[in-house]
Amino acid sequence: MTRSRRTLLLLAAPSLALLVLINAYPLVYAAVQSVRDGTLIDPGEFVGLDNYLSTLTSPAFWRSVRFTLIFTAVGVFGSWAGGLGLALLLRTRIPGRTVFKTLLLLPWVVPVVVSSTAWNWLVATPQSLLPSLAQALGLGTPLFLADPTLAKVTVCAFKVWISVPFMMMMISAALTGVDKAVYEAAGVDGATRWQQFVHITLPMIARSTYISWILMTIFCVNDFPTIYLLTGGGPVDATTSLVVLSYRTVFQNFQVGPGVAIAFLMTLSLVVVSVALYRQIRKAHV
Amino acid sequence: MRSNLSRRAFLGLGATVAGGTLLSACGGGSASGSGKLKFWDMPWGQADYTAAAKRLTEAYAPAGELPAATYQEIQWANFAQTFSSAIASKTGPAVSTGGGFQAFQFAEQGAIAYADNVIEQFRKDGTFDDFLPGQIDSMKTAKGYAAVPWQLDFRVWWYRKSLLDDAGVKEPATWDELLNASRTLAGKGIFGFGTGAGAGNNLGSQGLLLMMLNNGGGLFDPDGKVDVVTPPNIEAMQFVQELVKAKAVDPASISYTTDNLITQWKNKKVAMGIHTAGLDTDTGETDGDLRVLSPLTGPSGAKAGLVFQNNIMMYANTPSTSGSEAFLAYYIRSMKALWQQNVVAGLPVLKSIVALPEFQKQTQKAKIIAEWAPVAKTFATRSTALFGGLAAVDSSQPLTQFAQTVLAGSDPKAALDTLQGALQAIVK
Repeated sequence: MTRSRRTLLLLAAPSLALLVLINAYPLVYAAVQSVRDGTLIDPGEFVGLDNYLSTLTSPAFWRSVRFTLIFTAVGVFGSWAGGLGLALLLRTRIPGRTVFKTLLLLPWVVPVVVSSTAWNWLVATPQSLLPSLAQALGLGTPLFLADPTLAKVTVCAFKVWISVPFMMMMISAALTGVDKAVYEAAGVDGATRWQQFVHITLPMIARSTYISWILMTIFCVNDFPTIYLLTGGGPVDATTSLVVLSYRTVFQNFQVGPGVAIAFLMTLSLVVVSVALYRQIRKAHV
Repeated sequence: MRSNLSRRAFLGLGATVAGGTLLSACGGGSASGSGKLKFWDMPWGQADYTAAAKRLTEAYAPAGELPAATYQEIQWANFAQTFSSAIASKTGPAVSTGGGFQAFQFAEQGAIAYADNVIEQFRKDGTFDDFLPGQIDSMKTAKGYAAVPWQLDFRVWWYRKSLLDDAGVKEPATWDELLNASRTLAGKGIFGFGTGAGAGNNLGSQGLLLMMLNNGGGLFDPDGKVDVVTPPNIEAMQFVQELVKAKAVDPASISYTTDNLITQWKNKKVAMGIHTAGLDTDTGETDGDLRVLSPLTGPSGAKAGLVFQNNIMMYANTPSTSGSEAFLAYYIRSMKALWQQNVVAGLPVLKSIVALPEFQKQTQKAKIIAEWAPVAKTFATRSTALFGGLAAVDSSQPLTQFAQTVLAGSDPKAALDTLQGALQAIVK
């Protein structure tokens, strides 16, 4: 090993040691917990893969998987569609564009605790604003948080509402990199607005789109406060995602091993999805 | 200016600093801060409670070489995690309040210092006889007293007098009268069984448990094993189903947070319901319109309330066991000040505090001590002793799910069957 390489390694060593301690140690510790039957303060006995087997055969786990998939799919593509629409709209020369951009960022900037309280105020009781409005329109009194299907819809809508500004910023940044001359050339060739959108805009922002999908997938799968603060995972587990199930299993039922096993399975799935999306980034045009 | 420090010496210094920082970060600790005992306390009232409890802690003047105490407020959010991680890393408190069953849970894990010496002191100085009947005994385990009770948290029936008067309904005294009153109130669009089982709200499941207790049931058998599919429980839940059918239960209530439920009480949408002892103060209505019902008589003639005995516990990891004991004894003997200042939401366990004029003028709370305390049962009923597994059951997801299922009007027998399986899985 050359002297310069040794120096390089020595310089990097403290950072590497920190990284190992901050990331690897908790991960290894959690992996150990997932194969034991311990409590929060007692490591317990080694139980092999029992926690994973009981998790994978639990109906509650698969219900949570289903909801997590719905929540993530709606969260990613709903916010992407909303963000793309707003980004395209704000690219045009409308008056007060900067003010709109700032205001549209608010759902992302405001703490989730505050926005979930606001949403609860909007929908929780029959006298709340949205149920009252529905009643006035002759739509009955929808139980936005008490009906399992409507609760799912409400939680997903809340997630989209929070996430649209993030997507809007990502896409706005990507759109600034698209040369207007390309559109002018396409216009000269007779391309319609839709054709320009499909064959120029989307491919040109593909890399940013895939990156935003990866990030939003991670945000959605790991999202605890949005769901927990609004519904607590109910009613009757209808909005229990994997991260909520993991939290409840560890910190409410005090079953540390199964709870950590759920978290590990969740992480594994996230890695698989992220790698698949990352491959798409490498294939993207720009 | 050229430094005399060589590159190798510089790297060595850097590694030493980084290593030292990491080691200090990883280092363990004890339950002392600057040689003092750490007392961790939950927010048992409004902001003025914390200030008063802190003053009480800092006023502690230890005898001789015993350590003084420091006060630290711990939030309810994730409190189990906070305590567990602190205890596991040996940075936890020497003495604390906490969840009602926390002492039993940690005692089973070897983290608690038993309070037998404190109880013995109390026997000698007469403090023992000042406790309301049965309170100290409820802290007893096979190995000793897991903690010392300091306040009581009840679930009782409340009603709004003006709404009952408007509907021409008399205060119910039995289940039948409750059902009839609820039917009349439902005709006016008012709910006779106000409850909530949404995010973080355990009043729904605790209310259902109160109904089971009122019918001679409970979640456990006398040996502390989960036993929920029993005739008294089934009958009690069938009665709740009758209430649901009579439109006594707001269909939206299964998603109500505590704040949502209090709002419904304030909006006069709820005329009767099960709540903590602090409903009148929670709603800001202490003018006497919100009143505590006398305990209802169930079909078998039994009366019951639900009580959580909140307690102060000592931990095995302490700089001084005798210091922890002295502080705990001091706190129990001096806590009267908290009720004199009217800053605690809970009800006292000491007769001398119950007798205070400051407490007696809170008529609803005084009524609870007079009428509900004698018939109140614990969360462990029909088991006679509290145990660690209760910490996993109280506020647990199976109980919340059970409450949401029953309050939505589903088959109570099936819901009890599901609850039996789910609780058995989490109670070891």
